[in-house]
Amino acid sequence: MQEDEIIAGLRARDRKTTEYLYEKYSRALFAVIARIISDSDIAEEVFHDSFLKITKKIDSYDESKGRLYTWMANICRNASIDKLRSKEISQSTKTNTIDDFVYGLESNSGTMEQVEAIGVKELMNQLNEDQRFIIEYIYFKGYTHSEVSEEFEIPLGTVKSRVRASLQVLKKNIDRI
Amino acid sequence: MDIQSYIASGKLELFLLGELTEREREEVLALAKTHPEIQRELDDLEETMFSFDEKMGVAPSPKVKEKIFASLEESFKKEEPDFVKPAPVEAKVVKLSPWKNFAIAASLVAVLASAAAIYFAGKFYDTEERFTALLQDQQVMADNLNQVKLEFEETDSRLDRLVSGDFKRVQMIGETLPMQKDAKVDVFWDQSAQEVFVAVNNLNSLSAEFDYQLWAIGKDGPVGIGLVNPGEKFTLQQMQAVAEAGAFAITIEPKGGSKAPNLEKLVVLGETA
Repeated sequence: MQEDEIIAGLRARDRKTTEYLYEKYSRALFAVIARIISDSDIAEEVFHDSFLKITKKIDSYDESKGRLYTWMANICRNASIDKLRSKEISQSTKTNTIDDFVYGLESNSGTMEQVEAIGVKELMNQLNEDQRFIIEYIYFKGYTHSEVSEEFEIPLGTVKSRVRASLQVLKKNIDRI
Repeated sequence: MDIQSYIASGKLELFLLGELTEREREEVLALAKTHPEIQRELDDLEETMFSFDEKMGVAPSPKVKEKIFASLEESFKKEEPDFVKPAPVEAKVVKLSPWKNFAIAASLVAVLASAAAIYFAGKFYDTEERFTALLQDQQVMADNLNQVKLEFEETDSRLDRLVSGDFKRVQMIGETLPMQKDAKVDVFWDQSAQEVFVAVNNLNSLSAEFDYQLWAIGKDGPVGIGLVNPGEKFTLQQMQAVAEAGAFAITIEPKGGSKAPNLEKLVVLGETA
Protein backbone atom coordinates (compact mmCIF):
# COMPACT_ATOMS: atom_id res chain seq x y z
CA MET A 1 0.00 0.00 0.00
CA GLN A 2 1.37 3.41 -0.96
CA GLU A 3 1.59 6.18 1.60
CA ASP A 4 -1.18 8.23 -0.05
CA GLU A 5 -3.46 5.18 -0.11
CA ILE A 6 -2.83 4.62 3.60
CA ILE A 7 -3.63 8.24 4.36
CA ALA A 8 -6.81 8.17 2.28
CA GLY A 9 -7.88 4.89 3.90
CA LEU A 10 -7.30 6.24 7.39
CA ARG A 11 -9.28 9.35 6.61
CA ALA A 12 -12.14 7.18 5.39
CA ARG A 13 -11.98 5.30 8.72
CA ASP A 14 -11.35 2.07 6.86
CA ARG A 15 -10.63 -0.90 9.08
CA LYS A 16 -8.35 -2.75 6.68
CA THR A 17 -6.12 0.25 6.20
CA THR A 18 -5.90 0.76 9.95
CA GLU A 19 -4.88 -2.86 10.37
CA TYR A 20 -2.29 -2.48 7.64
CA LEU A 21 -0.92 0.62 9.36
CA TYR A 22 -0.70 -1.28 12.62
CA GLU A 23 1.12 -4.22 11.04
CA LYS A 24 3.57 -2.02 9.20
CA TYR A 25 4.37 0.57 11.85
CA SER A 26 3.44 -0.64 15.35
CA ARG A 27 6.86 -2.17 15.98
CA ALA A 28 8.80 0.95 15.03
CA LEU A 29 6.42 3.34 16.78
CA PHE A 30 6.43 1.24 19.90
CA ALA A 31 10.24 1.31 19.82
CA VAL A 32 10.17 5.11 19.79
CA ILE A 33 8.17 4.95 23.02
CA ALA A 34 9.82 1.98 24.70
CA ARG A 35 13.26 3.52 24.24
CA ILE A 36 12.20 6.45 26.35
CA ILE A 37 9.88 4.73 28.83
CA SER A 38 11.39 1.67 30.41
CA ASP A 39 8.28 0.47 32.24
CA SER A 40 6.61 -1.73 29.64
CA ASP A 41 3.08 -1.28 31.01
CA ILE A 42 3.33 2.48 30.86
CA ALA A 43 5.00 2.28 27.44
CA GLU A 44 2.10 0.22 26.13
CA GLU A 45 -0.38 2.66 27.59
CA VAL A 46 1.37 5.54 25.83
CA PHE A 47 1.45 3.52 22.62
CA HIS A 48 -2.27 2.82 22.88
CA ASP A 49 -3.09 6.49 23.35
CA SER A 50 -0.71 7.59 20.62
CA PHE A 51 -2.11 5.16 18.08
CA LEU A 52 -5.64 6.34 18.76
CA LYS A 53 -4.43 9.90 18.48
CA ILE A 54 -2.89 9.13 15.10
CA THR A 55 -6.14 7.72 13.74
CA LYS A 56 -8.08 10.68 15.14
CA LYS A 57 -5.74 13.41 14.00
CA ILE A 58 -5.13 12.01 10.53
CA ASP A 59 -7.57 14.60 9.18
CA SER A 60 -5.33 17.41 10.30
CA TYR A 61 -2.13 15.75 9.05
CA ASP A 62 -0.68 17.80 6.19
CA GLU A 63 1.25 15.72 3.65
CA SER A 64 3.12 18.76 2.42
CA LYS A 65 4.69 19.28 5.85
CA GLY A 66 6.46 15.94 6.12
CA ARG A 67 6.11 12.23 5.58
CA LEU A 68 3.63 10.03 7.42
CA TYR A 69 6.13 8.05 9.48
CA THR A 70 7.86 11.17 10.73
CA TRP A 71 4.54 12.67 11.74
CA MET A 72 3.50 9.51 13.60
CA ALA A 73 6.91 9.03 15.24
CA ASN A 74 6.79 12.60 16.52
CA ILE A 75 3.36 12.06 18.04
CA CYS A 76 4.74 9.01 19.86
CA ARG A 77 7.95 10.76 20.86
CA ASN A 78 6.13 13.80 22.22
CA ALA A 79 3.63 11.66 24.11
CA SER A 80 6.51 9.70 25.67
CA ILE A 81 8.35 12.84 26.70
CA ASP A 82 5.17 14.28 28.19
CA LYS A 83 4.60 11.06 30.12
CA LEU A 84 8.22 10.89 31.26
CA ARG A 85 7.94 14.37 32.70
CA SER A 86 4.55 13.82 34.30
CA LYS A 87 4.35 13.27 38.03
CA GLU A 88 3.19 9.68 37.91
CA ILE A 89 6.40 8.46 36.35
CA SER A 90 9.22 10.64 37.57
CA GLN A 91 9.51 9.15 41.02
CA SER A 92 8.93 5.52 40.21
CA THR A 93 11.09 4.99 37.14
CA LYS A 94 14.48 6.24 36.26
CA THR A 95 15.20 7.29 32.71
CA ASN A 96 16.35 4.77 30.21
CA THR A 97 19.86 4.23 28.91
CA ILE A 98 21.02 2.26 25.90
CA ASP A 99 22.39 -0.43 28.20
CA ASP A 100 19.10 -0.77 30.07
CA PHE A 101 17.30 -1.07 26.79
CA VAL A 102 19.62 -3.73 25.42
CA TYR A 103 19.48 -5.53 28.74
CA GLY A 104 15.68 -5.41 28.50
CA LEU A 105 15.82 -6.99 25.08
CA GLU A 106 18.30 -9.64 26.21
CA SER A 107 16.29 -10.64 29.21
CA ASN A 108 13.22 -11.03 27.06
CA SER A 109 12.49 -14.69 26.57
CA GLY A 110 11.93 -14.66 22.80
CA THR A 111 14.78 -15.77 20.56
CA MET A 112 13.94 -13.01 18.11
CA GLU A 113 14.54 -10.38 20.76
CA GLN A 114 17.79 -11.99 21.80
CA VAL A 115 19.06 -11.90 18.25
CA GLU A 116 18.02 -8.28 17.98
CA ALA A 117 19.66 -7.38 21.24
CA ILE A 118 22.96 -8.56 19.80
CA GLY A 119 22.33 -6.54 16.63
CA VAL A 120 21.45 -3.40 18.53
CA LYS A 121 24.49 -3.83 20.75
CA GLU A 122 26.73 -4.13 17.70
CA LEU A 123 25.08 -1.18 16.06
CA MET A 124 25.65 0.94 19.14
CA ASN A 125 29.27 -0.17 19.24
CA GLN A 126 29.77 1.44 15.85
CA LEU A 127 29.20 4.84 17.46
CA ASN A 128 32.05 6.72 19.06
CA GLU A 129 31.70 8.04 22.57
CA ASP A 130 30.28 11.43 21.59
CA GLN A 131 27.81 9.91 19.18
CA ARG A 132 26.70 7.30 21.66
CA PHE A 133 26.14 10.05 24.19
CA ILE A 134 23.99 12.03 21.77
CA ILE A 135 21.91 9.00 20.75
CA GLU A 136 21.43 8.06 24.37
CA TYR A 137 20.15 11.47 25.40
CA ILE A 138 18.04 12.19 22.36
CA TYR A 139 16.64 8.76 21.63
CA PHE A 140 16.62 7.08 25.03
CA LYS A 141 16.20 9.88 27.51
CA GLY A 142 13.88 12.03 25.42
CA TYR A 143 16.01 15.18 25.50
CA THR A 144 15.69 17.83 22.83
CA HIS A 145 18.91 18.98 21.20
CA SER A 146 18.71 22.35 22.94
CA GLU A 147 18.30 20.63 26.32
CA VAL A 148 21.42 18.58 25.68
CA SER A 149 23.23 21.75 24.68
CA GLU A 150 22.18 23.60 27.82
CA GLU A 151 22.65 20.84 30.33
CA PHE A 152 26.07 19.69 29.16
CA GLU A 153 27.27 23.03 27.87
CA ILE A 154 27.87 21.77 24.37
CA PRO A 155 27.35 24.42 21.66
CA LEU A 156 24.12 23.94 19.69
CA GLY A 157 25.98 23.63 16.40
CA THR A 158 28.09 20.81 17.84
CA VAL A 159 24.99 18.98 19.09
CA LYS A 160 23.44 19.29 15.64
CA SER A 161 26.47 17.98 13.82
CA ARG A 162 26.82 15.10 16.29
CA VAL A 163 23.18 14.16 15.75
CA ARG A 164 23.90 14.14 12.05
CA ALA A 165 27.11 12.12 12.41
CA SER A 166 25.38 9.55 14.62
CA LEU A 167 22.58 9.06 12.15
CA GLN A 168 25.08 8.65 9.34
CA VAL A 169 26.73 5.84 11.28
CA LEU A 170 23.37 4.22 11.92
CA LYS A 171 22.43 4.60 8.26
CA LYS A 172 25.62 2.89 7.14
CA ASN A 173 25.24 -0.01 9.53
CA ILE A 174 21.51 -0.45 9.85
CA ASP A 175 21.22 -3.06 7.12
CA ARG A 176 23.64 -5.36 8.87
CA ILE A 177 21.27 -6.16 11.69
CA MET B 1 23.29 28.64 -1.22
CA ASP B 2 25.65 25.82 -0.40
CA ILE B 3 23.34 22.83 -0.32
CA GLN B 4 25.94 20.40 0.93
CA SER B 5 26.79 22.45 3.99
CA TYR B 6 23.09 23.01 4.63
CA ILE B 7 22.60 19.26 4.64
CA ALA B 8 25.70 18.80 6.80
CA SER B 9 24.45 21.30 9.38
CA GLY B 10 22.17 18.71 10.95
CA LYS B 11 19.05 20.78 10.40
CA LEU B 12 17.30 18.05 8.45
CA GLU B 13 17.74 15.59 11.33
CA LEU B 14 16.17 18.07 13.71
CA PHE B 15 13.37 18.62 11.21
CA LEU B 16 12.58 14.92 11.38
CA LEU B 17 12.82 14.87 15.17
CA GLY B 18 10.23 17.67 15.22
CA GLU B 19 12.59 20.07 16.95
CA LEU B 20 12.60 23.01 14.57
CA THR B 21 10.59 26.19 15.01
CA GLU B 22 7.71 26.81 12.61
CA ARG B 23 9.82 29.29 10.64
CA GLU B 24 12.73 26.84 10.29
CA ARG B 25 10.34 24.08 9.24
CA GLU B 26 8.94 26.26 6.48
CA GLU B 27 12.48 26.97 5.33
CA VAL B 28 13.35 23.26 5.14
CA LEU B 29 10.11 22.49 3.28
CA ALA B 30 10.67 25.30 0.80
CA LEU B 31 14.28 24.23 0.16
CA ALA B 32 13.24 20.59 -0.23
CA LYS B 33 10.85 21.68 -2.97
CA THR B 34 13.48 23.56 -4.94
CA HIS B 35 16.46 21.27 -4.24
CA PRO B 36 15.95 17.58 -4.97
CA GLU B 37 19.15 16.74 -3.03
CA ILE B 38 17.53 18.01 0.12
CA GLN B 39 14.33 16.06 -0.50
CA ARG B 40 16.39 12.95 -1.19
CA GLU B 41 18.40 13.42 2.00
CA LEU B 42 15.18 13.85 3.99
CA ASP B 43 13.75 10.66 2.50
CA ASP B 44 16.97 8.77 3.24
CA LEU B 45 17.08 9.99 6.80
CA GLU B 46 13.47 9.13 7.40
CA GLU B 47 14.11 5.67 6.02
CA THR B 48 17.10 5.31 8.38
CA MET B 49 15.09 6.46 11.37
CA PHE B 50 12.29 4.09 10.48
CA SER B 51 14.58 1.06 10.12
CA PHE B 52 16.46 2.02 13.27
CA ASP B 53 13.16 2.16 15.14
CA GLU B 54 11.84 -0.99 13.54
CA LYS B 55 14.94 -3.08 14.08
CA MET B 56 15.33 -1.97 17.65
CA GLY B 57 11.79 -2.59 18.58
CA VAL B 58 9.83 -5.34 20.14
CA ALA B 59 6.25 -5.56 18.98
CA PRO B 60 3.75 -4.34 21.56
CA SER B 61 1.78 -7.15 23.14
CA PRO B 62 -1.28 -8.53 21.30
CA LYS B 63 -3.40 -7.25 24.19
CA VAL B 64 -2.64 -3.67 23.23
CA LYS B 65 -3.65 -4.32 19.65
CA GLU B 66 -6.92 -5.80 20.83
CA LYS B 67 -7.59 -2.83 23.04
CA ILE B 68 -6.77 -0.35 20.30
CA PHE B 69 -9.06 -1.99 17.78
CA ALA B 70 -11.82 -2.34 20.35
CA SER B 71 -11.59 1.42 20.96
CA LEU B 72 -11.59 2.09 17.23
CA GLU B 73 -14.51 -0.22 16.47
CA GLU B 74 -17.06 2.57 16.75
CA SER B 75 -15.26 4.88 14.40
CA PHE B 76 -14.77 2.44 11.55
CA LYS B 77 -16.98 3.01 8.60
CA LYS B 78 -19.55 0.28 8.36
CA GLU B 79 -19.29 -1.67 5.18
CA GLU B 80 -22.37 -0.77 3.23
CA PRO B 81 -24.54 -3.56 1.94
CA ASP B 82 -24.47 -3.92 -1.83
CA PHE B 83 -27.05 -1.93 -3.63
CA VAL B 84 -29.98 -3.99 -5.01
CA LYS B 85 -28.30 -7.23 -5.79
CA PRO B 86 -29.92 -8.59 -8.88
CA ALA B 87 -31.57 -11.87 -8.09
CA PRO B 88 -29.32 -14.72 -9.13
CA VAL B 89 -30.64 -15.84 -12.41
CA GLU B 90 -29.69 -19.39 -12.99
CA ALA B 91 -31.79 -19.94 -15.99
CA LYS B 92 -30.58 -23.24 -17.29
CA VAL B 93 -32.45 -22.89 -20.44
CA VAL B 94 -32.77 -25.83 -22.67
CA LYS B 95 -31.82 -24.76 -26.12
CA LEU B 96 -34.97 -24.05 -28.02
CA SER B 97 -35.30 -21.98 -31.05
CA PRO B 98 -33.36 -18.66 -30.83
CA TRP B 99 -36.38 -16.31 -30.57
CA LYS B 100 -37.33 -18.08 -27.36
CA ASN B 101 -34.01 -17.09 -25.85
CA PHE B 102 -34.69 -13.52 -26.75
CA ALA B 103 -38.16 -13.75 -25.32
CA ILE B 104 -36.81 -15.16 -22.06
CA ALA B 105 -34.10 -12.51 -21.89
CA ALA B 106 -36.61 -9.79 -22.65
CA SER B 107 -39.05 -10.97 -20.02
CA LEU B 108 -36.25 -11.25 -17.47
CA VAL B 109 -35.23 -7.70 -18.25
CA ALA B 110 -38.85 -6.64 -17.94
CA VAL B 111 -39.21 -8.36 -14.57
CA LEU B 112 -35.96 -6.84 -13.27
CA ALA B 113 -36.90 -3.44 -14.59
CA SER B 114 -40.33 -3.57 -12.93
CA ALA B 115 -38.76 -4.75 -9.69
CA ALA B 116 -36.32 -1.86 -9.84
CA ALA B 117 -39.11 0.56 -10.69
CA ILE B 118 -41.18 -0.58 -7.72
CA TYR B 119 -38.16 -0.42 -5.49
CA PHE B 120 -37.25 3.10 -6.54
CA ALA B 121 -40.86 4.28 -6.42
CA GLY B 122 -41.01 3.03 -2.83
CA LYS B 123 -37.76 4.82 -2.03
CA PHE B 124 -39.04 7.97 -3.68
CA TYR B 125 -42.27 8.11 -1.66
CA ASP B 126 -40.38 7.30 1.47
CA THR B 127 -37.92 10.08 0.85
CA GLU B 128 -40.66 12.53 -0.06
CA GLU B 129 -42.54 11.75 3.10
CA ARG B 130 -39.47 12.31 5.20
CA PHE B 131 -38.75 15.50 3.30
CA THR B 132 -42.25 16.82 4.02
CA ALA B 133 -41.89 15.91 7.68
CA LEU B 134 -38.60 17.77 7.78
CA LEU B 135 -40.17 20.83 6.15
CA GLN B 136 -42.89 20.83 8.78
CA ASP B 137 -40.38 20.51 11.56
CA GLN B 138 -38.47 23.36 10.11
CA GLN B 139 -41.59 25.53 9.93
CA VAL B 140 -42.39 24.80 13.56
CA MET B 141 -38.87 25.69 14.55
CA ALA B 142 -38.98 28.91 12.58
CA ASP B 143 -42.27 29.85 14.29
CA ASN B 144 -40.82 29.09 17.68
CA LEU B 145 -37.80 31.15 16.89
CA ASN B 146 -39.95 34.09 15.83
CA GLN B 147 -41.93 33.91 19.01
CA VAL B 148 -38.81 33.74 21.13
CA LYS B 149 -37.44 36.70 19.20
CA LEU B 150 -40.59 38.74 19.83
CA GLU B 151 -40.54 37.89 23.51
CA PHE B 152 -36.92 38.75 23.72
CA GLU B 153 -37.41 42.11 22.03
CA GLU B 154 -40.32 42.91 24.30
CA THR B 155 -38.31 42.00 27.39
CA ASP B 156 -35.35 43.91 26.09
CA SER B 157 -37.34 47.10 25.51
CA ARG B 158 -38.94 46.82 28.95
CA LEU B 159 -35.54 46.38 30.50
CA ASP B 160 -34.30 49.41 28.58
CA ARG B 161 -37.12 51.52 29.90
CA LEU B 162 -36.64 50.20 33.41
CA VAL B 163 -32.95 50.97 33.38
CA SER B 164 -33.20 54.38 31.71
CA GLY B 165 -36.31 55.61 33.58
CA ASP B 166 -36.60 56.98 37.07
CA PHE B 167 -38.49 54.08 38.57
CA LYS B 168 -39.57 53.75 42.12
CA ARG B 169 -40.31 50.38 43.56
CA VAL B 170 -43.49 50.04 45.60
CA GLN B 171 -43.89 46.77 47.43
CA MET B 172 -47.44 45.58 47.84
CA ILE B 173 -47.99 42.82 50.37
CA GLY B 174 -50.94 40.88 51.67
CA GLU B 175 -49.67 40.29 55.17
CA THR B 176 -52.04 42.70 56.96
CA LEU B 177 -55.00 41.74 54.81
CA PRO B 178 -57.29 38.75 55.23
CA MET B 179 -57.21 37.42 51.66
CA GLN B 180 -53.71 36.03 50.89
CA LYS B 181 -51.16 36.48 53.66
CA ASP B 182 -48.18 35.52 51.51
CA ALA B 183 -49.15 37.52 48.43
CA LYS B 184 -46.40 39.83 47.15
CA VAL B 185 -46.43 42.06 44.10
CA ASP B 186 -44.06 44.89 43.22
CA VAL B 187 -45.05 48.02 41.37
CA PHE B 188 -42.40 49.94 39.43
CA TRP B 189 -43.53 53.45 38.89
CA ASP B 190 -41.89 56.27 37.00
CA GLN B 191 -43.90 59.24 38.12
CA SER B 192 -42.43 61.78 35.69
CA ALA B 193 -42.83 59.52 32.66
CA GLN B 194 -46.14 58.23 33.99
CA GLU B 195 -45.27 54.60 33.49
CA VAL B 196 -46.24 51.67 35.66
CA PHE B 197 -45.11 48.04 35.60
CA VAL B 198 -46.00 45.26 37.97
CA ALA B 199 -43.96 42.18 38.75
CA VAL B 200 -45.77 39.31 40.44
CA ASN B 201 -43.71 37.66 43.14
CA ASN B 202 -46.39 35.53 44.68
CA LEU B 203 -50.08 35.55 43.86
CA ASN B 204 -52.57 32.66 43.89
CA SER B 205 -54.19 31.74 40.61
CA LEU B 206 -57.87 32.56 40.12
CA SER B 207 -60.77 30.68 38.62
CA ALA B 208 -61.82 31.73 35.13
CA GLU B 209 -64.54 34.16 36.15
CA PHE B 210 -62.26 36.48 38.18
CA ASP B 211 -59.32 38.78 37.47
CA TYR B 212 -56.82 40.65 39.59
CA GLN B 213 -57.10 44.40 39.05
CA LEU B 214 -54.48 46.98 39.91
CA TRP B 215 -55.62 50.28 41.42
CA ALA B 216 -53.74 53.54 41.79
CA ILE B 217 -55.18 55.34 44.81
CA GLY B 218 -54.77 59.11 44.54
CA LYS B 219 -56.64 62.22 45.67
CA ASP B 220 -59.65 61.36 43.53
CA GLY B 221 -59.95 57.84 44.93
CA PRO B 222 -58.92 54.55 43.30
CA VAL B 223 -58.44 54.37 39.52
CA GLY B 224 -58.23 50.97 37.82
CA ILE B 225 -55.06 50.86 35.76
CA GLY B 226 -55.06 47.33 34.40
CA LEU B 227 -55.43 43.63 35.02
CA VAL B 228 -52.59 41.61 36.53
CA ASN B 229 -51.83 38.12 35.30
CA PRO B 230 -50.85 36.01 38.35
CA GLY B 231 -49.23 33.33 36.15
CA GLU B 232 -46.49 35.56 34.74
CA LYS B 233 -44.20 35.63 37.73
CA PHE B 234 -41.11 37.80 37.93
CA THR B 235 -41.74 39.42 34.57
CA LEU B 236 -42.75 43.02 34.05
CA GLN B 237 -46.35 43.61 33.06
CA GLN B 238 -47.07 47.06 31.76
CA MET B 239 -50.06 48.91 33.26
CA GLN B 240 -51.82 52.12 32.31
CA ALA B 241 -50.20 55.47 32.96
CA VAL B 242 -50.63 57.21 36.26
CA ALA B 243 -49.13 60.49 37.43
CA GLU B 244 -50.52 60.67 40.89
CA ALA B 245 -50.83 57.94 43.52
CA GLY B 246 -50.45 57.66 47.26
CA ALA B 247 -50.78 53.90 47.19
CA PHE B 248 -51.24 50.94 44.87
CA ALA B 249 -53.52 47.99 45.56
CA ILE B 250 -54.83 44.86 43.91
CA THR B 251 -58.36 43.50 44.34
CA ILE B 252 -60.17 40.50 42.93
CA GLU B 253 -62.85 41.60 40.48
CA PRO B 254 -65.21 39.84 38.11
CA LYS B 255 -63.62 38.94 34.79
CA GLY B 256 -62.55 42.04 32.84
CA GLY B 257 -62.27 44.29 35.90
CA SER B 258 -64.64 46.80 37.52
CA LYS B 259 -65.09 50.58 37.57
CA ALA B 260 -64.67 50.71 41.36
CA PRO B 261 -62.77 48.30 43.56
CA ASN B 262 -64.42 45.67 45.71
CA LEU B 263 -62.58 46.49 48.91
CA GLU B 264 -63.74 43.31 50.60
CA LYS B 265 -61.48 41.46 48.20
CA LEU B 266 -58.37 43.56 48.68
CA VAL B 267 -55.40 41.25 48.21
CA VAL B 268 -52.30 43.42 48.48
CA LEU B 269 -51.61 47.04 49.32
CA GLY B 270 -48.50 49.21 49.21
CA GLU B 271 -47.99 52.91 49.90
CA THR B 272 -45.77 54.97 47.65
CA ALA B 273 -44.23 57.06 50.38
